[in-house]
Amino acid sequence: MMHSDIKSRPTYQVLEPDLAGTGHLLVIEGETVLPGRLDSLAGTFAPVEDKLHTWLVGSHAGAQGLGKVWHLPAIADVVDAFACATRGFGIGDRLYVQGTEPFLWSVATAAGIVGFGAGQVRLHHTGSLRRRVWCTHCHGVTDNVTTNFAACSGCGRHLLVRDHFSRRLGAFMGVMIDAEVPGQVPALEEVFP
Amino acid sequence: MIGELLHLQVAAITDLAPGLRHVRLVAADSSRLPPAAAGAHLQLRLEGTTKTFRNAYSLISPPGRRDAYEIIVRRVPASRGGSAFIHEQLNVGDRLEATWPGNLFPPVRIARHHLMIAGGIGITPFLSYLADFAVSRASHALHVCCRESEKDVFAPWLPATGKAAFHWDADGQRLDIPALLAAQPAGTHLYVCGPAAMNEQVIEAAAKAGWPASHVHCEHFGSALSGGEAFRAFLSRSGIEVEVGQDESLLEAIERVGVAAPCLCRGGACGVCATPLLEGEPEHRDHFLSPVERESGRLIMPCVSRAKTGRLVLDL
Repeated sequence: MMHSDIKSRPTYQVLEPDLAGTGHLLVIEGETVLPGRLDSLAGTFAPVEDKLHTWLVGSHAGAQGLGKVWHLPAIADVVDAFACATRGFGIGDRLYVQGTEPFLWSVATAAGIVGFGAGQVRLHHTGSLRRRVWCTHCHGVTDNVTTNFAACSGCGRHLLVRDHFSRRLGAFMGVMIDAEVPGQVPALEEVFP
Repeated sequence: MIGELLHLQVAAITDLAPGLRHVRLVAADSSRLPPAAAGAHLQLRLEGTTKTFRNAYSLISPPGRRDAYEIIVRRVPASRGGSAFIHEQLNVGDRLEATWPGNLFPPVRIARHHLMIAGGIGITPFLSYLADFAVSRASHALHVCCRESEKDVFAPWLPATGKAAFHWDADGQRLDIPALLAAQPAGTHLYVCGPAAMNEQVIEAAAKAGWPASHVHCEHFGSALSGGEAFRAFLSRSGIEVEVGQDESLLEAIERVGVAAPCLCRGGACGVCATPLLEGEPEHRDHFLSPVERESGRLIMPCVSRAKTGRLVLDL
């Protein structure tokens, strides 16, 4: 369960269709799908099934009742699919995303680039609490961080993972943890399982 | 800056069409004026023979211009008097007081496309949008619903590129609002400025076409809203009882007895004049208070709202 005392941290919603929408796109991170979840989503989205597209990412699970289903190998393919969508997206379209936090914001960012506004997007966080970390020193991004600090993939510094989230980057701030005494770091703990 | 006044002088008056008057205002001391952005308005203080009018007009001069402010005023038949004053009594060389420009209707900078729908004189805020977009090169389209006879009046302010479409009340010339709104790409922002009935029609059609409310923007005009049954208001802090006449607003009545009330748009949109209400049953006519605030009955916007019955007691 995600919890934060930081008021500006995004909060996530339960997925349900916005009946005001004229087209509906559901993007699901396959690894976060628990048994029975696709059936329950199909039930929830039944009222809009004739206008529903589902992109299932990194999973070959069969999906019934989720409109037109595409299987995409990875998040990079979702980003490409948004960028290359030839029919374009309309102002009445709605986007629903389920997955880990880095996945949610990768999808939301790619959709934002083709025009989706916040009022058209609903995000549902589920699965791992792992974080994408943005280094304040080299501006590199380190993915899949589950520990209280981690080595930066860009500059190698030990980064303390702060509870400070950027919607624009879809990442948490990482600052050098041993700047005063190099090598002096606290015990490594898994805090974002 | 609310409360600070500008001293202006009428530099030119041009009649564009029957009932449409263009007014160019410069600083009375020939200094440079405060700059205003696209969508801004100016509140003019017009000293009529029987009363003072404070009317807000959209600036049509290109954003950032500091040599002059330009407005276009339509003469409203059931006018409270402000537009009639400008059409009948205002002369070149006259001096006027005005507030600093305010802006309750700016274009949204992150929009990928701007769709503007104007009803008649509601085109005025969009004339400054067009000047802005000509520089920023933002994607945009303007649809104007007006009288056929007035479709060429605004030509001097329209870009040569033909991004403005005119519609009028004749077969084949009317604007199909639902069809227009259904065909817009993600990232579009919609702006509507026209008579209340048209604004409502557009906002409703947008909701039906699935537009998120955050992408729909409306500027209301027309001040016919401010009149109604006469009532009394007691200003508890000043200890003054004031009679609010049928054709004046509560705010105008408060100003008449010399109590300074903060205000900006005078059209129920900005929220600056929100005043604590101590007693009485208000008839809310503003676009600012939330349904919860309205129901609580503890705030009133005196620029447009009135008493439902009897008497109001204001903390003023």
